[in-house]
Amino acid sequence: MSIQTILGNEAIALGVVEQGCRVVTAYPGTPSSEILSGVVKFKKQLNRNIYTEWSTNEKVAFEVALAASWSGLRAAVAMKQVGLNVASDPLFSSAYTGVKGGFLIIPADDPGPHSSQTEQDSRLLALTAKVPVFDPSSPEEAREMVGLALELSERYRTPVILRPTTRLCHAVQSLEIDDLIPPENAIPEVKFRKDPKRWTATPKFRNLLHKELNNKLLEIEEEFNKSTLNFVLYDDINSSIGIIASGVAFHTVEQSLAELGNQIPILKIGTPHPLPRKIVEEFSARFDKVLVIEEPDVCIEIQLNSREKVHGRFDETFPKAGELTPEVVTSILHTIFNKAGITVNSPPNDVELEDLVSSLPLPIRRPRLCPGCSHRSAFYTIKKEFGSKGIYPGDIGCYTLGMNLRAVDTFVDMGASITMANGFYQANQILNDKRPIIATIGDSTFLHSGIPSLINAVHTGARFVLVILDNRTTAMTGFQPTPANTELADGSDAAQNVSIVDLVRACGVDYVKEVDPYNQDEFQELLQAAFEYSQSLSGSVAVVIADRPCVLYDPTPLNENPIPVVITEECDGCRYCLEVFECPAMSLSSDKSRVDINQKICVDCGQCLDSCYKGFILPDLTSIINKQEVPSLTRSD
Amino acid sequence: MNIIVAGLGGQGVIYLTRLLAKAAIIDKHSLMVSESHGMSQRGGSVVSHLKVGGNKAPLIQRGTADLLISLDPDEAVRNLPFLRRGATVLVNSEDGLMQEVSEQITRLEIQVFSLPANRMAIELGSPAVANVIMLGLTTANPLFELNYESILVAIDIIGSNGKELNIKAFEAGFNSGKEKYLEYIYSPSKNSK
Repeated sequence: MSIQTILGNEAIALGVVEQGCRVVTAYPGTPSSEILSGVVKFKKQLNRNIYTEWSTNEKVAFEVALAASWSGLRAAVAMKQVGLNVASDPLFSSAYTGVKGGFLIIPADDPGPHSSQTEQDSRLLALTAKVPVFDPSSPEEAREMVGLALELSERYRTPVILRPTTRLCHAVQSLEIDDLIPPENAIPEVKFRKDPKRWTATPKFRNLLHKELNNKLLEIEEEFNKSTLNFVLYDDINSSIGIIASGVAFHTVEQSLAELGNQIPILKIGTPHPLPRKIVEEFSARFDKVLVIEEPDVCIEIQLNSREKVHGRFDETFPKAGELTPEVVTSILHTIFNKAGITVNSPPNDVELEDLVSSLPLPIRRPRLCPGCSHRSAFYTIKKEFGSKGIYPGDIGCYTLGMNLRAVDTFVDMGASITMANGFYQANQILNDKRPIIATIGDSTFLHSGIPSLINAVHTGARFVLVILDNRTTAMTGFQPTPANTELADGSDAAQNVSIVDLVRACGVDYVKEVDPYNQDEFQELLQAAFEYSQSLSGSVAVVIADRPCVLYDPTPLNENPIPVVITEECDGCRYCLEVFECPAMSLSSDKSRVDINQKICVDCGQCLDSCYKGFILPDLTSIINKQEVPSLTRSD
Repeated sequence: MNIIVAGLGGQGVIYLTRLLAKAAIIDKHSLMVSESHGMSQRGGSVVSHLKVGGNKAPLIQRGTADLLISLDPDEAVRNLPFLRRGATVLVNSEDGLMQEVSEQITRLEIQVFSLPANRMAIELGSPAVANVIMLGLTTANPLFELNYESILVAIDIIGSNGKELNIKAFEAGFNSGKEKYLEYIYSPSKNSK
């Protein structure tokens, strides 16, 4: 037994490995990405025979793991919450068919949101899909719930969701971890057995399966009514107000009550769907007022039979959007206690200090592309060629930040850049709008869901330029390999890599060119030619692949050919370079008289040379001659 | 003990947080830490919440942190509202915090100690070790609850950038810290900068 610190996502991964999942799949996405890498880490440490993969997208990941479950093996699939939208088709279907080996779906929600396009609640999707949910409040509890969820999944032959949120995924907790368990890699005595009424159910049988599913949920609710995952904290305290809380919000409430110096009973719900109504109703009956505190939406509240004395998000006691931070919860509880005539401490924050700090002109630190990022070079050149009259549909990844260079006008969801370009083209035909359309998409996102979009655009005769920003990795989420790499999830180099160029051609694209976006002139000429092709009589979608590895992932090409730059004395601080090139290594001097280069973070890419039209940014020849070593880059913070 | 670690993406906030966390469990404290990931790592403000002892809520509530370690002076100011009355700020800065906050800092009896860790790191040979220099400054603080030896073990276990350099950086920060705190103890009336 030893005490270790463990990241929430890794605690989930440890549970998945300990509980004998044999197939684990995922598509990377914050805040879920470290779950699969954690599984890889622990399977190596514990010498377990587990198949792991970074799948092409979440639907693919879901189905690969599902087949393992239908073969009788325990399986798990992880993704971010919006990934469950992509996988919702098999989610709904598999709830009906049921599963065989324990099947755990782990969608990580992002209240806030911190790095997502929505604040949606996966528990509500589970409610609609009729899938049971476990809602952990800490890394420790998440690990424990993995086993309980898999066991429930097997007993009721239903998929089960374990739903963590950002603060849990990225919390690091100290945990007692048993000494390494010896490997148990015997071949389980299971196999896929044909069952047409289930695995290939036609609508007639689907109706029966639906009824079966409804009955399962009733039985599971009965079981949840007895589960120790649903319990009351401060049970023996007399109070007119009670709280129902779940997930991380449970501990936040506990902390807020401590700050306010008041303890009242809290019903902690660990299994919000199906809601253990008996427990909830018995608890609620004890109070005049019941507060429901959950994130990010109303899974418990929506299932209550009566909301007469309930205060939650529906009556806007708690905000309908945004994270339930300690400040939000404490301030709301403080108001409620005051109104009820209960004397409590004031919230601990100092309003005078907060007001002062929020009034200060502190620098706004928006996220930016890294120094040396090849996407910046690509966006800079795209913008240079097509200017502000271009329409720029963008996509999901680091390169969404192309919006800082005003070269990304829209982003919707994975793969939408191409379909939006397609739609803008058709709309512009009707509107007689001649503006050029230039879509950008990353390599991983293109493979995730760009391909059907591209086929559609080619097939329907849309005309635009598509730039595939191929940096050869999934950079935003921590360098997971894509199907275009030879690396597998376990780090081995055994993958059959698929060619993006060949895929583009196979989609019916005749015009496809590859270029290193660091060669800005060549890139610009190609963009011009691609656009002309797209507008020509026999033209169609033109694809330019901007091919250069992520500077953090593989700095070799940069280190082989560093180009240090200087900004000359003549610089007049006009800020043009800051606007058009937007590099974090360039900033206005404190007296605003000129632009300086921050040598600490500059990586000598030399890509900014073109961004001063007055010619004040020059290669630093003395430095090139004297420089023995170039700054070496590392892959992580 | 509630600790906020702040800075900018790429300054090593997460590494510094992990060293503190490792030392805390070596000292057998229970621990809850919140890290910034994803978008926030691409050059934006980065902040970690570290709760040594205490409950399992991942975030520290504003007005309850005992210690703020900041690798950037502006980020220190941005995170001041996390501090309780009488808390301590340790900041990587040439000249402390901006003048605008001094009145409030005095009112709330917050102690500020600064160290030019960027300059010191370059002198030691690597700008990347400014965070470990700040860890040295932290460890030297008489109110800091984790053991000196545990911090060294943590650096040994999860050292990056070369252990020797890290130890050198840690000691540089620690020794400067000792002088600063002694100076402060002997002149408690002035709000040290």
